[in-house]
Amino acid sequence: MITLAHLLVLSGILFALAVAGVFINRKNIILLLMCVELLLLAANFNFIAFARYLGDIGGQVFVFFVLTVAAAESAIGLAILVVLFRERRTINVEDLDTLKG
Amino acid sequence: MLVEVLFYVFATILIAAALAVIISKNPVHAALFLVLSFVTSAAIWLLIEAEFLAIVLVLVYVGAVMVLFLFVVMMLDIKVEEHRRGFTRYAWLGWITAVAVIVEIVGVVTARRFGVDITRGAAPWPASYSNTQALGSVLYTHYAYPFELAAVVLLVAIVAAIALTTRTRRGLKRQDINRQVNVQSTDRVRLVKSMDAKSP
Amino acid sequence: MAEPTLTWAGVAPATPEIYLVMALCAVLLVEAFAGEKRRGLADTLTLVVLLVGALVSAVYGHVSERTTLFHGLYVADELGYVLKLAGFLIVAVTLVYSRAYLEQRDILRGEYGVLCLTALLGIFVLVSANNLITVYIGVELLALSVYALIAFDRESGVAAEAAMKYFVLSAIASGALLYGMSIIYGMTGSLDLDVIAARVGAGHASLGVIFGLVFIVVAVAFKLGAVPFHMWLPDVYHGAPTSVTLFISTVPQLAYFSLTFRLLAHGLAGVTAEWTQMLAPLAVLTLIVGNFVAIAQSNLKRMLAYSTIANVGFILLGFIAGTPAGYSAALYYTLVYVLVALGSFGVILLASRRGFEADSLDDYKGLYARDPLLAIVMLALMFSTAGVPPFIGFWAKLRIIQELWVTHHNALVIIAAAASVVGAFYYLRIVKLMYFDAPVTNAPKPAGHFGARVALGLNAAAVLGLGLVPGPLLDLCARILH
Repeated sequence: MITLAHLLVLSGILFALAVAGVFINRKNIILLLMCVELLLLAANFNFIAFARYLGDIGGQVFVFFVLTVAAAESAIGLAILVVLFRERRTINVEDLDTLKG
Repeated sequence: MLVEVLFYVFATILIAAALAVIISKNPVHAALFLVLSFVTSAAIWLLIEAEFLAIVLVLVYVGAVMVLFLFVVMMLDIKVEEHRRGFTRYAWLGWITAVAVIVEIVGVVTARRFGVDITRGAAPWPASYSNTQALGSVLYTHYAYPFELAAVVLLVAIVAAIALTTRTRRGLKRQDINRQVNVQSTDRVRLVKSMDAKSP
Repeated sequence: MAEPTLTWAGVAPATPEIYLVMALCAVLLVEAFAGEKRRGLADTLTLVVLLVGALVSAVYGHVSERTTLFHGLYVADELGYVLKLAGFLIVAVTLVYSRAYLEQRDILRGEYGVLCLTALLGIFVLVSANNLITVYIGVELLALSVYALIAFDRESGVAAEAAMKYFVLSAIASGALLYGMSIIYGMTGSLDLDVIAARVGAGHASLGVIFGLVFIVVAVAFKLGAVPFHMWLPDVYHGAPTSVTLFISTVPQLAYFSLTFRLLAHGLAGVTAEWTQMLAPLAVLTLIVGNFVAIAQSNLKRMLAYSTIANVGFILLGFIAGTPAGYSAALYYTLVYVLVALGSFGVILLASRRGFEADSLDDYKGLYARDPLLAIVMLALMFSTAGVPPFIGFWAKLRIIQELWVTHHNALVIIAAAASVVGAFYYLRIVKLMYFDAPVTNAPKPAGHFGARVALGLNAAAVLGLGLVPGPLLDLCARILH
């Protein structure tokens, strides 16, 4: 039987990997965006796990909205990325250093 | 028992895929590993009877969002070689954070003071239970307000994506059907008096 | 499961949101069909929409007592009523200030107004949120619109860079917010903030609730721009077009106040002692970093960004008092800050020209000789932020310090007072530049739209007037948070 503990630990590992990914991939913005998707996946895991074990549909509804918003978010994020690439010809984080002070 | 074995199989693949996402240097590989993570997540969601969301995850994420990612990666034509130079100087910090977060989360979740009983299994649903029906019956009634707002969120995404990326190039010769249809003969043919007509 | 059908009387308190959704669709359609031919039409229409919206919600949106709508997902109360009215008016003023700036940079497109309206809708949703789902959607609706606004000038690489930085960091903060919310949901078994408030009892909070709280506090601190989660703020303020900087430094503050109030002060009231403990070191760091780093800046937009961070420190101090009176002091401070920020960025907008951003401190040398009105307005605003009586900023700082004193946070009182003194230095430096230094650049003489200059004059008059007669606004803030 899958218990709540199984799912919470799994989502915890996903969350940790996503956070580590943010630190590791500070060079490439597209990889950063993928780490953010992993982060949201970890949170969704929690909601679904709790919803199942509480016998409450609310958590699943929340995940439904998170999926909607995350899809919109990646569309805008990638649009900004395209604008940035057109102007700078790079998506390397370390090259983005015009704003300092 | 079978469910448990399946859970461990999928969880292992999921963690391996997530790890591959964060360490692969090639964005295309990373995107494909992310697809694998989503598919195995959907499988686990099926195991805990969240069928509708499992299918939505595959359709929306794998079918739309990841395709968008791959599309952008290929459109931008990023030189893979440039990103092979190794991790940044913060990489060690990343690994320490990861281990610390895992230890912390496992510690908190398994602590006796956590607040809910985590060793219990879920109460089984009755045979007539349908996950999709359960979601649908609250989504358009109880949660009608956020549902309407989600529509606005998607509208913002459309407006923003178009406003940011469409380029109207100057000097482009476009066809304007409206003008073509409404054209009058006087716009095209101008009758001028011939010089010859004056002279006898 | 029989659900009651929606009736007009049942949704009347949500008039501002309903009106705003319909109006933004109308603006979008007008832009789609007439935008090409008539530049600025959609912008003017947006302004009309906002003014009518203020009128409509003033008449129909009022509720005499706290009521919940849409199955408890939406709360209508006096706080929401006041903040929404303020939201309509503030966005209208930002559009008045920005008109000339947008025209000169060829970014006066209808989508700008539409995105401002959707951001405002996100703010309204957040102001009236009574459920974790509505909190999340409000935060995201606001954030998505703001990302697009920052990158709105497609010719500007700096703006795209600022937008990208903000996007990535903000998305990570949203992830933390969601993770925290999921834990709170698991612990309390509900998404409804009223139910969560009832179940998170005082004194015996479980480890799980505290664990979730940590993530939520981090996310809230990020949204507010508290140190050490402030990295995005100076870059975004500096890189974004000034009209967008004006927007994001003003109205969203109302939303972030509500976010903190609804989520922490209302929903998680049972663990007030815990979250005030977490916020206190952040607030101290915020005050110190904000004030000291601001001194070193040579760019006015960047300096005002650090000034924003310093002000966020004060707003957090109001929350740390942990009492309704403390929250009302934080609300008063927020409103005062918004009024002053509106004017400060308005001055930068009106001082700029095509090809001349007017964002370096040197550009303000001898401003009094070139444009007395802008210099006088800026003088009032800088005195106010520095906390010089009788300007309004003095009362805001005084109220916060009073509440900290009443709740026996003596160390914080001393730090807040010291930070204000340091802060006064760089605000007064700008006054010196404008009045006593000779101009170094041959900057063109500012000559903005007449309407914008009148609005700016009224803005400064309000900063002085509300400072001379602080009673009504203070009473209002105290009344709506009881």
